Amino acid sequence: MSWDYFVYFAIVSLIFWIIGAVAAWKNTQAWKVYVPTIVGLLVFFAFILSMWISLERPPMRTMGETRLWYSFFLPVAGLITYSRRKYKWILTFSVIMAFVFICVNIFKPEIHNKTLMPALQSPWFVPHVIVYMFAYAMLGAAAVTAIYLLFLKKKAVQAKEMELCDQLVYTGFAFLTLGMLFGALWAKEAWGHYWSWDPKETWAAATWLAYLIYIHFRLHKPMKYHVALVIMLLSFLALQMCWYGINWLPTAANSIHTYF
Amino acid sequence: MWNRPWGYKEGFAINGGLLLVGILLQLAIGRVNLEVLTYPVNLISLVIFGAGLAAMHLASKKLYLFRLLSSFQFALPSMVSVVILVIFMGLSPQFQSHAELPGMMGRLGIMQMLSAWYFVLVFSWFIVILGMVVVKRISRFHIKSDIPFVLNHLGLLIALLCGALGSADIQRLKLTASVGKPEWRAFDSRGNMLELSLAIELHHFTIDKYPPKLMLVDNETGRILPEGKPANILADDDFTEGTLLDWRITVEKRIEGAARVFAGDTIKYVEYPSIGATCALYVKAINTKTHRQQEGWVSCGSFMFSHQALRLDERLSLIMPDREPRRYASDVTVYTQSEKIIHGVIEVNKPLQVEGWKIYQLSYDQSMGKWSTISIFELVRDPWLPAVYAGIWMMLAGAVCMLVFPKKRKEDEV
Repeated sequence: MSWDYFVYFAIVSLIFWIIGAVAAWKNTQAWKVYVPTIVGLLVFFAFILSMWISLERPPMRTMGETRLWYSFFLPVAGLITYSRRKYKWILTFSVIMAFVFICVNIFKPEIHNKTLMPALQSPWFVPHVIVYMFAYAMLGAAAVTAIYLLFLKKKAVQAKEMELCDQLVYTGFAFLTLGMLFGALWAKEAWGHYWSWDPKETWAAATWLAYLIYIHFRLHKPMKYHVALVIMLLSFLALQMCWYGINWLPTAANSIHTYF
Repeated sequence: MWNRPWGYKEGFAINGGLLLVGILLQLAIGRVNLEVLTYPVNLISLVIFGAGLAAMHLASKKLYLFRLLSSFQFALPSMVSVVILVIFMGLSPQFQSHAELPGMMGRLGIMQMLSAWYFVLVFSWFIVILGMVVVKRISRFHIKSDIPFVLNHLGLLIALLCGALGSADIQRLKLTASVGKPEWRAFDSRGNMLELSLAIELHHFTIDKYPPKLMLVDNETGRILPEGKPANILADDDFTEGTLLDWRITVEKRIEGAARVFAGDTIKYVEYPSIGATCALYVKAINTKTHRQQEGWVSCGSFMFSHQALRLDERLSLIMPDREPRRYASDVTVYTQSEKIIHGVIEVNKPLQVEGWKIYQLSYDQSMGKWSTISIFELVRDPWLPAVYAGIWMMLAGAVCMLVFPKKRKEDEV
């Protein structure tokens, strides 16, 4: 299996996801939403899995490979949210975001080969990256919700919509914490210290603290919806810096985390 | 302002004050010397901090300020201040705290954030608030509802506090071991030599490498093609044929350990199972458009033999870049003063633990590559690590609690 086949898997997955998202808008029976979305996820995961097998290493090393996981987890996060809250628009949003990341992978392919440098050969590698990508997907879904509530929705924001944001952020934040701490435990084994203030680590700390501010602000001033949503979007900006923004920072030239 | 009840304004004012005092201190007397925190100063500081928290908690009924220490009004501005400083840290390059940096920026300490007065003050304030939050919650602990709260907050407190207090006790030393000679002298980051209570003897160092890659380069510019997104083929054991741009590449012969010899006026490769051997492939390349055909040896070279490229046409050559390492490993014996003898293999990601030291594979003689007769280790000792790990594991458990138990909305606490 190679990236040449990605476009076919991606198109099939997207078709299924779109069928699911359209069904969600139509308020039809639940299975018409779940079955296509899950089938799409299975097709997409089949590609990830076969890449994993043919590369003989987890496909998590390059930016393109992390985007692959992100495109997978976005509809997962969307579907979980849908199952709990029945927002008819959430699947559409998550599928659009997944589509964007799939397009980046199709139109800007990178070198993908089997080599994995020794520092990355660790049992912590897979959980560290998967947990982070899932957190990013959850927080991405939360950010999309926040944009919708702040800029697109004409009527006043409702309490239950804020509750959805909270749930997404809580879940995302818990995974963010797990990812960061797995990283710390791994760093001790690989580099001798659990926290070295590498640029990626610094931005991970900033992101983590920023979401912590959102969580505490929501607890303290639960009625101030707009301020809370703005804090959340600023946190999401910090997350973008952490994920790929640092690659453009001169400070990150020697980072142990820059992808190639 | 400063009319009760206090709000965010007062909280931000305190952080602003700390920041200002910190900047003035920084300009007046220079950065904080964190090395004073070595044992037993750090332990004493910890005890004083604990006693201070308890005293402030007891006095919090009478003193409004102490009561506010565990409030959202103070916690949120404190978090915002810390995050702003962390963002500054993320935007500017960071240097070790003992480096001397010139100019105003150097004096201001932004590039040595961790030992800048304003950071230390704002961070300490954050820790005090976190400490008071934990003490308050523990003092009226409900086993059912408070476990996740305490795991998250106390875990973070322990990890941050012990990480910060313990950092001065961390020793990171470099030790260079040569084959067959036990070595017990190591150097710290400033070049001071220390004699250790253990000795490391290197038996053998090795590098396992990934299979060779083949790439196309532009003969004139030397750039890998296609420019911008270079392509390569990985010639592993079962590889026979692949395509690069318009060229179909077939591997006819492969020698893992080869020597480069001259046969008349041509170069060829022969088996050479010894030090300095390189990897060589005999390849045939056919251009699928022009049907032009070339064949010959391609090799990545070693410290003994130079690279060998195959010129395909006026524009292109086929090359084998240096092979990427799969594994570095040092086979060692460690002797301790308590007369223990430990055999082990030290690899990247697999340090060896001996008497409180963790020994990491750091480097080797790069000019010799896999035939290096030395191996450079990093020895790390961090006596506060178990405490930090306790905090980290509490936070991990707290994160799992966040996922498992549904969130309950709490009323304002103050």
